[in-house]
Amino acid sequence: MTDSTITSTLDTTGKCCPMPMVETNRAIRALRSGEVLEIVATDPGTRTDIPSWCARTGHRLLSMAESDGTLRYYVQKA
Amino acid sequence: MKSMTIVIRDDAYDKILTPLAFTYLAAAEGTHVDILFVNWAVRALTEDGARALKVEGRHADQDAWVRERVAAAGLPNDINALLKALKETGNVNFYACSLAAAIFNVSEHNLIPEASGIVGAAWFLNEKAAKADHCQYF
Repeated sequence: MTDSTITSTLDTTGKCCPMPMVETNRAIRALRSGEVLEIVATDPGTRTDIPSWCARTGHRLLSMAESDGTLRYYVQKA
Repeated sequence: MKSMTIVIRDDAYDKILTPLAFTYLAAAEGTHVDILFVNWAVRALTEDGARALKVEGRHADQDAWVRERVAAAGLPNDINALLKALKETGNVNFYACSLAAAIFNVSEHNLIPEASGIVGAAWFLNEKAAKADHCQYF
């Protein structure tokens, strides 16, 4: 994932369930189909919440990465 | 999931947070959520009642700490503000159980504007709970 392919970044650092998913839903609505949302999170619950949300909604989880407790998800809007 | 109903009976501050957090998650995803407030929890649908909610029991002395942690998590730590935020999603309805309203002195006059009214439990159970995809009780 390169910065050039990211349409928008949502930083939920420090926030916990339900806010990362509430804000992710809000952020994805602002994008057009095919655009990519980068989600930065520290809530470990997002490790399960975001992949299952993608499977349920049809958005594509392009990749995820974790470094020093920070999780980054790259989601392409359906 | 298109629709969900929740019945909330416990009005301790920390215990009411879970159903409201679940509501926020579902509503954010477009699920329609109808909530019936029964027993003491009906008072959460009044400004004074929501303001009076406290952490109770053996954790009562940690009320301020819980509120700080809720705010740090990004949620409104005031129940009135949280109910407003849920209503603003456009996917949530709050109902006061008529029996609970009668017992705990809640009327149309002191209901918060975000509430959809005082309703009979039979209506809620048949028209909302029985027709929803999923029901939860707290």
